[in-house]
Amino acid sequence: MSTEDESFHPLGQEWENELETMLDDTEYDSDLGMQMAEDAMRVTKGELSEADFHEKYHDDVMEEFGVDDRPTEEAYEEAQKNAGGFAEMLKSVDSDGEESRRGMMKKMGAGAAFVGLGAFGASEGGSESEPNVAAAQEGDDTEQDVQWGMAIDLERCDGCLSCVEACAEENNLDRGVNWMYVLDYEDNGVDTSRNRLVRPCQHCTDAPCEKVCPTTARHTRDNDGLVLTDYDVCIGCRYCQVACPYGVNYFQWDEPDITTEDIEAQAQEEMGDHDHDSDVPHDHMSDERGRWVDSRAPRGVMSKCTMCPTRQDGGMGEDAVGTTACEDACPPDAIQFGNMFDDNSDPQTYADNPARGRALSDIDMSVPSADALEDDLDGADDDLESVLEASEDLDEETLRIMKAIEIVSEDFGEGDASHTEYEQNIVDAFDALEAHGLDLDSEEVLVGLDLADEPDEDEEFDGPDESAAQTVLVNEAGEPDSNFQLLEDMGTNPNIIYLGNEPGPQAEQVEGPVAYEDVEADLADGSSVPLADNRKDVLDEMTVGDAGVSL
Amino acid sequence: MSTKTPSEDDILRPMHTFTKKYVLLFAIAALALGAFLVGWMYQLQQGMAVTGLSDWGSGGGVTWGLYIGAFIWWVGIAHGGIILSAAVRLLGMDRYMPVARLAEMLTLAGLSAAGFYILVHMGRPDRMVTSVIGHYHITVNNSPLVWDVTVITAYFVLTATYLGLTLRYDIARLRDDLPSFSPNVGGKQLPDLLAPVYDVLTLGYTKAEDKVIDRMVWWVALAIIIMAPLLLHGGVIPWLFAVLPNYPSWFGGIQGPQFLTIALTSAISGVILLSYAFRRAYDWDHIITDDIFRGLLLWLGFFCLLFLWLQLQQLATGSFHSTTTHSYATASKLSHPMYVGPMLMVLGVLVYIFAQTIRPSLFSKGRAIAAGLLVLTATLVEKTYFVLSGFWYPSFNIYDGSPGEYFPSVIELLSIAGTIGMVTLFFLVLSKLVPVVELHAVEHLRGDHGHGHEHDHEPVEESAEQPEVEA
Ligand code: SF4
Ligand code: SF4
Repeated sequence: MSTEDESFHPLGQEWENELETMLDDTEYDSDLGMQMAEDAMRVTKGELSEADFHEKYHDDVMEEFGVDDRPTEEAYEEAQKNAGGFAEMLKSVDSDGEESRRGMMKKMGAGAAFVGLGAFGASEGGSESEPNVAAAQEGDDTEQDVQWGMAIDLERCDGCLSCVEACAEENNLDRGVNWMYVLDYEDNGVDTSRNRLVRPCQHCTDAPCEKVCPTTARHTRDNDGLVLTDYDVCIGCRYCQVACPYGVNYFQWDEPDITTEDIEAQAQEEMGDHDHDSDVPHDHMSDERGRWVDSRAPRGVMSKCTMCPTRQDGGMGEDAVGTTACEDACPPDAIQFGNMFDDNSDPQTYADNPARGRALSDIDMSVPSADALEDDLDGADDDLESVLEASEDLDEETLRIMKAIEIVSEDFGEGDASHTEYEQNIVDAFDALEAHGLDLDSEEVLVGLDLADEPDEDEEFDGPDESAAQTVLVNEAGEPDSNFQLLEDMGTNPNIIYLGNEPGPQAEQVEGPVAYEDVEADLADGSSVPLADNRKDVLDEMTVGDAGVSL
Repeated sequence: MSTKTPSEDDILRPMHTFTKKYVLLFAIAALALGAFLVGWMYQLQQGMAVTGLSDWGSGGGVTWGLYIGAFIWWVGIAHGGIILSAAVRLLGMDRYMPVARLAEMLTLAGLSAAGFYILVHMGRPDRMVTSVIGHYHITVNNSPLVWDVTVITAYFVLTATYLGLTLRYDIARLRDDLPSFSPNVGGKQLPDLLAPVYDVLTLGYTKAEDKVIDRMVWWVALAIIIMAPLLLHGGVIPWLFAVLPNYPSWFGGIQGPQFLTIALTSAISGVILLSYAFRRAYDWDHIITDDIFRGLLLWLGFFCLLFLWLQLQQLATGSFHSTTTHSYATASKLSHPMYVGPMLMVLGVLVYIFAQTIRPSLFSKGRAIAAGLLVLTATLVEKTYFVLSGFWYPSFNIYDGSPGEYFPSVIELLSIAGTIGMVTLFFLVLSKLVPVVELHAVEHLRGDHGHGHEHDHEPVEESAEQPEVEA
């Protein structure tokens, strides 16, 4: 921010001017509004107490709006009541970025601006809000904090097609519309079980499909980088399918099997209970912007993997944000979905240290609960040996891996990524052990678990040995030979990181362990239909004059 | 016969005759178009699944097929036609003046057919206006498909203007002899319905404008010739494919020149067929002379040579030491009948054309027609193969479903007959309304007759050829 800028608001003079114009457009008193906005800023900075703020303006506000019950009064009262106070509310919207801030202003009406909501967006100060401020100053409203993407561990995938099935069920796809596709392949004649590819849409940052689209139907969502198709705009020219080098697009050649009514009914039933963001319609089709981009496409338009925008928008509840149907369904946790911009997200942490990620997921079933530990340890001694002996579920190997994971991890058990749940279980178990008196960071325990070197006589114990811990994890869970992005040389900047073997140009698909036809998907109309590998087989039924020959 | 003097009556003849053959041809063409329209309605009702297409990749098919192949074919014919006519006007190739207007009309007809294919190929043609025009300002920056639509529209307008301008001269002079149409509806005699059309076309015409129009036409012709490699079949249309690195058989700068040669060969072939049909129908031997056919054939030979030469370039670069996927694509070319066949056809035509320049007695109009038909078939098949081969041999060829299966459905095949019917109807109708040979050409032939040394030997050959043609 320039030093000359005398604005009270961290978003700068421009923002203030905008606020003022907004207020001028209402029949309310602009000066009072601006004054309130300024004081609201002071509240968020802690310079003014909330009670004082309330007292200072309550009467004025009531006088201004109270008479004829304008929505602003409600907004004000609502803010007081719901967000646990004004400052809290300001803080809670802070991270949502410029777009939603404006959206919210609009929603609550100009009256909201009046009561000083213009202050939010910079309530906390500090580093977190700085990007917003910077973005606002550049007048850049395409700021993006989130880029959804995946890390896919091909060596963990066992080819069960659970993800393909889950995707078909989530999106009510026609047979052979395999938004998620899993294939085994042979490369130069070598066929090992490791030659497997899991292939959703790569949600490319530089998506050629979007570039060629003659209608902007194929587009990237500004706030989270998902590459989506607006089913209401697409003309079905199929150029996106042509331009995508990965072959992930599926055109809706005929009337889809499942009606929108069925999809909506299913969505009402399944999503109805979630307390969800009111922005997102309950139909599993429109996203938070109100564009029809989710679930199977209607006839005559293009479709492909969406990375579940309804989930990401909070339409299926807070827990489903940052997850996809395929990720949830994958038994060996081969799919890690999350924010590629965040170093602590599932995909980034997993790609960063796959052995750790694998071990974490493997060990989860064996980590004893804190309660069980407490019961087992009751009355036992607090040295390592006694603890291990007394505990039924905890053996030395498990504890070693648990501890090794902790040693190689940063911010263990913190954050909101899915893997932190696993970490949290370990933290709980550790807490129970510590409560019993076992010091997990002590020389005795670490050396006992081979996670630290025993110091020489004259040396001091220097804590855990990270490389030893890493070796434990690699030995336990293995490590992929390589990680790669698919067809990197195409310049698409895909948002999927693969761990494992990269298929070469001579790779050819071979039969996988599970046949598509042997897996059934339960769809919204109550039917159970087998998946189909080859869409053409399904479509041939409708071809006029199909002679069964090919050019 | 060429001993006859071309006259205004000659070029007015299509408007003053009404034969059974005309009715028959009209009926056949209408039937072909009608049959396809029914097919298209069915496609609109059922969805694109009635075609033989599917998704490429795991979908086991090809995304685009005959519709797009035929689209390129028609745009090629159209663009070649306008280049041909522009060359005639720009370079003063007066020899071909009698067929210049036919070439222009072929451009309009071809562009209409191509535009129609764009609609036919779409999943939601009803959104063409809202979705495409509505976002035009954004998409025009990077979607080759939008460039295509732009260019096709622009050239339609340009050609129509061009044609309109040159028609003014003719209509103003021949106005009294042009047909009228005043039907009697329920005992009431309506006024001449065609008169307003002619009036609009000649609105404000004075003889003084002829020179200006001549200049204007010259400039438009210049613009067309300059823009041809950039915007027509030498640029925007091939870019639809050539800019995509994921298809070895499409990618690369050679597609521009390659498409241009295809446009020119097919347009010349189209003009040969059309000219022959009109000459035959209206006894225009002395207007569309054998000499024109010889000349057109020679040009056809030249562009066939270029066509094959550029194909050769691709075969060489694709097989010498190419990448794995590119070599698959090239191997397919060398073995696939849809590629080898057209190449042999064009080569055959080339050999014939060169042979008949050395031994003129090898020329006959029948053979010229055959050459035209062969080239048109070859370009349609080759272009369709070109589209398919992209999907068959993509860079990412891991899928079991690739190369995908494809055979055009009955509806897709009908579309070829339908659009040919549509173009035929276009000419049948237009020839009843305006002269398809310019008045200029007749005047020119009259003024020139017997002077040009090229024409000196004509009568001899003409009589020698005649029986063969009739046979
Ligand atoms: S993989 Fe990339 S290019 Fe292909 S559809 Fe997805 S975003 Fe588009
Ligand atoms: S099929 Fe639809 S989304 Fe794809 S390029 Fe065409 S208009 Fe765009």
